[in-house]
Amino acid sequence: MSVSAKTASAAPDLSPAAPHGGGKPPRAKGERIGLAMVLPGQIVSILVLVIPLLVALYMSFTDWSPTKGSLFDADFVGFENYSELLVWDTRFLYAVLRTLCISAVCLSLEFVFGLSLAVLFMRRFRGKPLLFSAFLTPMMILPVVVGYIFWMLFQSSGPINQIMVAILGPGAAQEWFRSAPLAVLAVIITEVWHWTPLFFLILLSGLNAVPENPVRAAVILGASPRQVFWRVVMPSLKPVIIVAFVIRAMEIIKLFDEVFMLTRGGPGSATETISLYIYKLAFNDFQLAYGAAAAFLVLLGALGLIHLLLAPVRNQLLEAGR
Amino acid sequence: MLEKKLTPVQAALLSAALVLMLFPVFWIVMTAIKPPTDWNASPAIWIPSQPTLVNFKTLFDPDAIREYGVGGVSQAATKSVIGSLLASVTATALSVLIGLFSAIGISRYGSESKSTPLIILSGRMFPPAAIAVPFVIIFSNVGLTDSYVGLIAIYVAATLPFSTWMLKSFVDDLPREIEEAAMLDGKSRFAAHLTVTIPLIKGGLFATTMFIFILNWSEFMFALVLSYTNVSTIPVQLAKYVTATAGTLYGVQAALAVLAMAPLVVAGYLIQGHLARGMTFGAIKQ
Repeated sequence: MSVSAKTASAAPDLSPAAPHGGGKPPRAKGERIGLAMVLPGQIVSILVLVIPLLVALYMSFTDWSPTKGSLFDADFVGFENYSELLVWDTRFLYAVLRTLCISAVCLSLEFVFGLSLAVLFMRRFRGKPLLFSAFLTPMMILPVVVGYIFWMLFQSSGPINQIMVAILGPGAAQEWFRSAPLAVLAVIITEVWHWTPLFFLILLSGLNAVPENPVRAAVILGASPRQVFWRVVMPSLKPVIIVAFVIRAMEIIKLFDEVFMLTRGGPGSATETISLYIYKLAFNDFQLAYGAAAAFLVLLGALGLIHLLLAPVRNQLLEAGR
Repeated sequence: MLEKKLTPVQAALLSAALVLMLFPVFWIVMTAIKPPTDWNASPAIWIPSQPTLVNFKTLFDPDAIREYGVGGVSQAATKSVIGSLLASVTATALSVLIGLFSAIGISRYGSESKSTPLIILSGRMFPPAAIAVPFVIIFSNVGLTDSYVGLIAIYVAATLPFSTWMLKSFVDDLPREIEEAAMLDGKSRFAAHLTVTIPLIKGGLFATTMFIFILNWSEFMFALVLSYTNVSTIPVQLAKYVTATAGTLYGVQAALAVLAMAPLVVAGYLIQGHLARGMTFGAIKQ
């Protein structure tokens, strides 16, 4: 787990072309071969990513559904799907708000737990490598299986109720998936268990990369451990923290697999996330065009959100990428 | 930072965290080896007194469970295991191969535009349920619905950003001078990359392959909406078992879940030092 000093903050995916290893790249001769090497990837991306996205974009402006035959026979309806979604569709609005709330709660908890564990890991103790592997285990398990495992744990005759009864007495058993707040709680617990290890992993590599000299200097100047942590360590951890939040935000906005296994969005629509709503629109109700419009609204919103998240560290990241 | 020893309170906190992290894994493994009488016992049985492998056997031979008087396992999971292997292994190989050339191209010749990161981010954030819709339409027009070719194509495209950027971060770590020396010896650029660059990032190549395999093996939504009868993967089969019996085949479902997560946990431990790099598109190099 040794980490070199400059590692943690560089973010190549957020920075423009960064010539590496000194000097300018040998352009004139290299350009053609560089292009040739990148070409296969570009072709795959265009065929399998860009074209479907364009089809979906076109579709979102029509009233197409599978019963209408070919996509190009469908009527062009302009922004009707979009205005319907934004103005009238309260189910969409609630799905968005619900996803945002669940995301905010999950990410905060994952951050607090992940940071606490990472700080504890900066201490000296035996068996560290083994414990490190054990703590990473949840994030290696596939989301569907995580959803299934917690579905079992939350059964009325399952171990979670059993433990609650043992601690709180016979009345403590709950029907987790029959009550809206409990179902949401179950989703949050599942998600936090699954992804706290990622925050732990990213923040630990950030902590390992905190330069030692400022910490030493602060200690010599008489700073308390608390002051050292909040005034010296945390500020240099900021870019890593933001990278962790951005990466997790991108994923949790699409939250689907775990919820599908746990509750299918129920009871009612208490745990219906954006992805689940779009899935139901497209594959249960066959409102494909409408679903596509919803997806583009989500994409726009998510891009804006990520932009805001990245704003405070953008310059730092660009510098580090050079 | 200055290393201090753990206080007893901190040691207790770490132990509690360890128990919380491992308990769900313990539970699924225990359920997978429970005989049907223990599956849904109340109060729940934590450690089966008579562990059995019948649940795993049932996955490949649905009749195996009948001696316990349990019916309702109508489908073997064999096809989904083969399907998962076929789709994940092929897609991983293609994604890493294409990503490798892209990575060298971008790292060494800078043929990357300023908007690339934004495009990649957008692609990753688009709800898969919605991008699945155009795939269903396009695939039904070109006869790729319910085929492994279609599924593999999607998996390659979906994981290509990860393989490209993870591999690029490994190539970036390599000093350019090493290849230039080989070129001075009379090798062509391409030959230099093949014989110098690629062997030097072997470790990174392995880590990337494992990481992409984890992503492909875990994929659920595309497999769910693009498979009917020909194609199946383990996650889809697991969802089918749960739907078909309202989830009452606890042991068999748990066995399939264990089968699904075992290769990932092994792959994950093998590359745990590189997981952060993979998850962050190479932004964090550990």
